[in-house]
Amino acid sequence: MKHSICMVSDFFFPNQGGVESHIYQLSQCLLQRGHKVIVVTHCYGNRKGIRYLTNGLKVYYLPFPAVYNQCVLPTIFATFPLIRNVLIREKITIVHGHSAFSTLAHESMFHARTMGLKAVFTDHSLFGFADASSILTNKLLKFSLADCNHVICVSHTSKENTVLRASIKPETVSVIPNAVDATMFVPDPSRRNPDKITVLVVSRLVYRKGMDLLAGIIPELCAKFPEVQFIIGGDGPKRIVLEEVREKYQLHDRVSLIGSLEHGKVREILVQGDILLNTSLTEAFCIAIVEAACSGLQVVSTRVGGVPEVLPPDLIYLAEPSVKCLLEALERAIEDKRQGKVVSPFKAHERIKKLYTWPDVACRTETVYNRVHQLECRDLAARLRRYYQCGPLAGKLFVIAAVINFFILCILQWISPAEEVEEAPSFPASKNVQKNFCEEKDSHNLI
Amino acid sequence: MAAPRRWKKILYEDQSVDDNYVDSSFLDELKKNLCTRKYDYWTVVRASGVVTQQISSVCIFVIVFIYMDNKILSAENLCISVLTMTVLGYIINKLPVRKSLSFSEKSSSRTILDDLKTLLIFTGFSYGLSPVLVSLTETISTDTIYAMTTIMLLANLLFHDYGATEAAIVSQSLSLNAALFASVCLASRLHTPWHAFATVTFAVQIFAVWPVFKRNLMQSIPASQPVLTVLLGMFAFLALLTVSIPAAILFGLVHLFINFVCPAWLTSLQPYKNNIYGPWDEATIND
Repeated sequence: MKHSICMVSDFFFPNQGGVESHIYQLSQCLLQRGHKVIVVTHCYGNRKGIRYLTNGLKVYYLPFPAVYNQCVLPTIFATFPLIRNVLIREKITIVHGHSAFSTLAHESMFHARTMGLKAVFTDHSLFGFADASSILTNKLLKFSLADCNHVICVSHTSKENTVLRASIKPETVSVIPNAVDATMFVPDPSRRNPDKITVLVVSRLVYRKGMDLLAGIIPELCAKFPEVQFIIGGDGPKRIVLEEVREKYQLHDRVSLIGSLEHGKVREILVQGDILLNTSLTEAFCIAIVEAACSGLQVVSTRVGGVPEVLPPDLIYLAEPSVKCLLEALERAIEDKRQGKVVSPFKAHERIKKLYTWPDVACRTETVYNRVHQLECRDLAARLRRYYQCGPLAGKLFVIAAVINFFILCILQWISPAEEVEEAPSFPASKNVQKNFCEEKDSHNLI
Repeated sequence: MAAPRRWKKILYEDQSVDDNYVDSSFLDELKKNLCTRKYDYWTVVRASGVVTQQISSVCIFVIVFIYMDNKILSAENLCISVLTMTVLGYIINKLPVRKSLSFSEKSSSRTILDDLKTLLIFTGFSYGLSPVLVSLTETISTDTIYAMTTIMLLANLLFHDYGATEAAIVSQSLSLNAALFASVCLASRLHTPWHAFATVTFAVQIFAVWPVFKRNLMQSIPASQPVLTVLLGMFAFLALLTVSIPAAILFGLVHLFINFVCPAWLTSLQPYKNNIYGPWDEATIND
């Protein structure tokens, strides 16, 4: 069954990040599996209109300016005419929104549901329940997911979190982990410094990534092991804290802060390290540790969120999020390294290569699309009932929004009927569509 | 081993189940109401006394103004009583009653000479400026003054530090300034510099020095609080009775409501508390 899929998110190229590369890689794999995929995002500076990326991946940069945090202004209805036009032009059957932070994704899914299309949503992040802002965003997520057909989460912890936040049935949530492009992370132990033990940190230097923990670890570990050196990649507001520590303990020759990295350069840094240290305080999946393990590094990480699910126990040293526990884990890792009790980099690479691959993610996402496709369309009354159950006050507001959107649809239908919207010619399907992905997966299963 | 393997919460193995499989262990790690405190009714009743104490203080301040306005209380008498109470309070404060924690540290850093200097500077300035204070708001109509005073005293009650210093709404400086502003407003209705001086000094005593004294007293003798609440409440109630009976009754009802009904309300709402914790929560750094 071939689908016409529209990926929607505020976050896409030229922006760099986890969600962006996820959408890109998934779209590429789905294209290769013969589906039609387009991406809809907001404009980035001069980048407006339609662009084609590799293999004819069509990207709509809609002329909605980003207002806050790279997201468009939440207006609920204002994006409807344009998005409806795109969905009709491209004969879309499934709208797939990405990231709970993306306003555009939520609005597009809402419009798609109003138009009777199927909606799938991928959640990439974890939220707490305690503070006022998360209460508000959780309410909005509830509204957005009340009528969504299927949700995809990147880890089991993320699934539990999303189910609780949006009060949806756990059966409608699938867990499909992120993947890495293993060819980009081939280990190269010859690049390491044999006299030193290099501890790598690659992350944004912000509070949520546990930079305060790192600031506590650096001096103690350096004092204990004279051969340890740190390489810290990334930038952010907490950089000053790390620089202070380096200054205070005179560690200029042992701690290098190399600033932000392009995604392509990450491997260059990764192969120079022996141990990757992840100090995150919350993490839905943590692709960084997978990339590091794939490059043959030992991984030391805090036991938070979905991290314990990601790597098999012999490839990761888990620790509670405190300086003391992380130091103990690092010491264990260094000790194991000295005694040669580590999985060889190439073996680790081979294992990770089979674990998290994009073709596999695409295959599993396709299963979700097939399942969603078979669901029958809910009529307006059924949809309104779902919205109404969202809460005593919120439910009524959600119903009002849904009804208004329906009226707007009627007006739009009258002004420019769907039959009169010009159909977009589809990009000629590339000849080298690889048919062997699923076969590959099947054979993998047999083993 | 043909027995079906138990499902594990991991991603690194193909467990041959659907992606939307829900295991019986789903949400096992969910914890509810981890950090919630169990409230005991009488503890809350005792703690709520802090609020009614401050209300009593505000009432006493207003009554003193009314007495002076009605010429029942002279400014000189007020000054003398303020002085006696300050000296008394200061001596009690300096007594080495179970020197505890921050209390002793704070007092040790200041000598009696320092305190005397502060006292002299304050009284000197407020006495010197009292002719200005008295005429400052003289031209403003009495209704406006009363309305302003009411608002300012309410603001004092709202922003006062009842013990939750880190709460967003608490602002010690705002609450003290509101009270002093109210006292300056009222001072202008009494027409002589002496009265202005007495009102402002009394306001400083009851809104700035008294809460500090109260806090120190609470730290060294916790049992003093209920006694203080009852004494202050009775005093304010009786004083109010001499001025206006409806106001006194209202005051009594408010006291009963805050001290007995509100704690009951709070404890009865406790079962509805539903805080969710789990592995998705942002970890807190404890060291």
